[in-house]
Amino acid sequence: MTTFADSARSFIDSRPDSDPRRQAWNLFESLGLPTTTDEVWRYAPLSELDLDGYTVPTAPTVAPESAFAAALGALAASVVRVVDGFLMDIGEPIDGVTVDLVPGLACLSGTEPLDRYASDAFALLNAALCPATVMVRVAANTVVDGPIVVVHTANTTASFPRTHLVLERGASATVVEYYEGGVDAMVVPVSEYLVGDNASLRLVTYQRLESSTWHVARTTGYLERDARLSQSVLGMGAHYNRSRNDADFRASGAENELRTTFFGSGGQVHDLRTHQFHRAGRTRSTLLSKGAVADTSRSVYTGLIEIEKGAKRTDARQTNHNLLLSPNAHADSVPNLDIRENDVVCAHASSVGPLDELQRWYLESRGVTRSDAERLMIQGFFLEMLDALPEALARLVEGDVATALHSIPVSA
Amino acid sequence: MSSTLSISGLRVAVAGKEVLRGFDLTMRSGEVHVIMGPNGSGKSTLAHALAGHPGYQVLGGSVLLDDVELLTLSATDRVRAGLFLAMQQPMEVPGVRLVDVLEAAGVDRTDLVEHMADEARRVDLRPELLQRFVNVDLSGGERKRAEMVQFGILRPRFAILDEIDSGLDVDALGAVARRLASSTKEWGCGVLAITHFRRLLQELTPTKIHVVSGGRVVATGGPELSEVLERDGYEPFREPNPL
Repeated sequence: MTTFADSARSFIDSRPDSDPRRQAWNLFESLGLPTTTDEVWRYAPLSELDLDGYTVPTAPTVAPESAFAAALGALAASVVRVVDGFLMDIGEPIDGVTVDLVPGLACLSGTEPLDRYASDAFALLNAALCPATVMVRVAANTVVDGPIVVVHTANTTASFPRTHLVLERGASATVVEYYEGGVDAMVVPVSEYLVGDNASLRLVTYQRLESSTWHVARTTGYLERDARLSQSVLGMGAHYNRSRNDADFRASGAENELRTTFFGSGGQVHDLRTHQFHRAGRTRSTLLSKGAVADTSRSVYTGLIEIEKGAKRTDARQTNHNLLLSPNAHADSVPNLDIRENDVVCAHASSVGPLDELQRWYLESRGVTRSDAERLMIQGFFLEMLDALPEALARLVEGDVATALHSIPVSA
Repeated sequence: MSSTLSISGLRVAVAGKEVLRGFDLTMRSGEVHVIMGPNGSGKSTLAHALAGHPGYQVLGGSVLLDDVELLTLSATDRVRAGLFLAMQQPMEVPGVRLVDVLEAAGVDRTDLVEHMADEARRVDLRPELLQRFVNVDLSGGERKRAEMVQFGILRPRFAILDEIDSGLDVDALGAVARRLASSTKEWGCGVLAITHFRRLLQELTPTKIHVVSGGRVVATGGPELSEVLERDGYEPFREPNPL
């Protein structure tokens, strides 16, 4: 039997000796997978994870396009297709936008990637086993009208997509990263976004992987002076959905609005982590995380706001609301603040509870059944999050969310 | 087809306190009944209990719509049986759109948006307000009119209107009253209006006025009763305080 490590080595051995993947793999092997005694992994069902159930692909497979991916594509200015982490199609050319592959592992932050991700076993796996980094670059002062859609399809058991988005000074774009597929798979994406001076990136990450899949994702936004990153992360699928979304405020006036949302059903675990690192003054972060857990699913939200000494007049707000839809579901909310500057505004709020009984009654009193009322309210949890998206895109995702929720029995 | 709504001996408690203490009222299709009474007399409790509000506990009595006992039905099935409540304080439901609510309630989606717009115009409400999430960012008066839009689309056999007139200016009040009056003819709607004000009755002629005090009906009369109330207030009708 071929082990995961065997398949990883045959992937790496096909590369030149100087390839940093070897070092990443060695680092992973010496670090090993985390265990639940590690605080940041304590909610992950790691005892169920057996890497030998997965095989590292050395070439992409042919994946059919789903109806939803096709519909997304129809709204897009350009569709970049990635299968099993391999870039398959760079999409329609757009003036000022380039899509290509970067062979190395460079970090958009400029730091050494293996230093940056040294303690993150899954990010190391990604570094070791990603076929290449897909780089989307928007040239200075380019305004891209329609959304650029990156469709990630997981068609084999393991994939390690690595995506970099760069918006140069004054550029503006909407980008959708969409993940689908993945039966009994492990999908470990690492994405980085560099938003240059006065640039504006509207980003949607929509994860709709199959419910048997492990999804361990990490994104980092690097924000330069007066940059703006508005990011929505929607997690519907996966057995274990971990999404770590960080923002690094590197210069004054930068702004990050982050909305993360999820729906848990069956035995799913949603594990959301955020780190807003305010290193410069007059930076602003608004974070809203909302999710719902049904059946025996559980969620944890762990958010850290870190404000560096000297980052004066920073405004950082963090809100987390969790809906409990079954007595056997569970949600944890763990906000953390680390503030080393006095001249700041910082706020956080969180709640965990059932659906609002009176709102539900209000809908029932219009003739809506209890289960439909609950579905509308849960869907509403998501629709509120979609409000920030471009209209046509929001409608499309709304429809998809509604379809997904319809297939899930809700019982309060 | 003429229907009858018959409330008899209804007893309802809120937070362990009995507020309705044997409430009786019978009305038929196409009639307009008005309930007036001092604060705390049980008017809103009646409305909430009939619509199955989870905070109200029915202790006894019966509410029959023809031969269907409503009290044993879910809130949903009461509406589907034909009893609709236009609320005094309609709730905000963030993330949920009215068009989806009405569709889930069984209304045909074809032409629904236009139908909503027509109903909105009948009560002087800007139709685009109905595209917002349910009642979110609507003023009190706009919410009341949004309730009337739902009323017009659901076309209930009987409608309870809990202080539909509060928060409305004179023009909007006139439009709402005319909408209610025409419903009694359009589909023979029975209208049960709870109000503090006579203004509503200027364009909506009541079949009967009931004065409520201490959780039960203490007087019933024709439209002239509202003049008596205007002149003398509720004091002559007040029940001795049971506590």
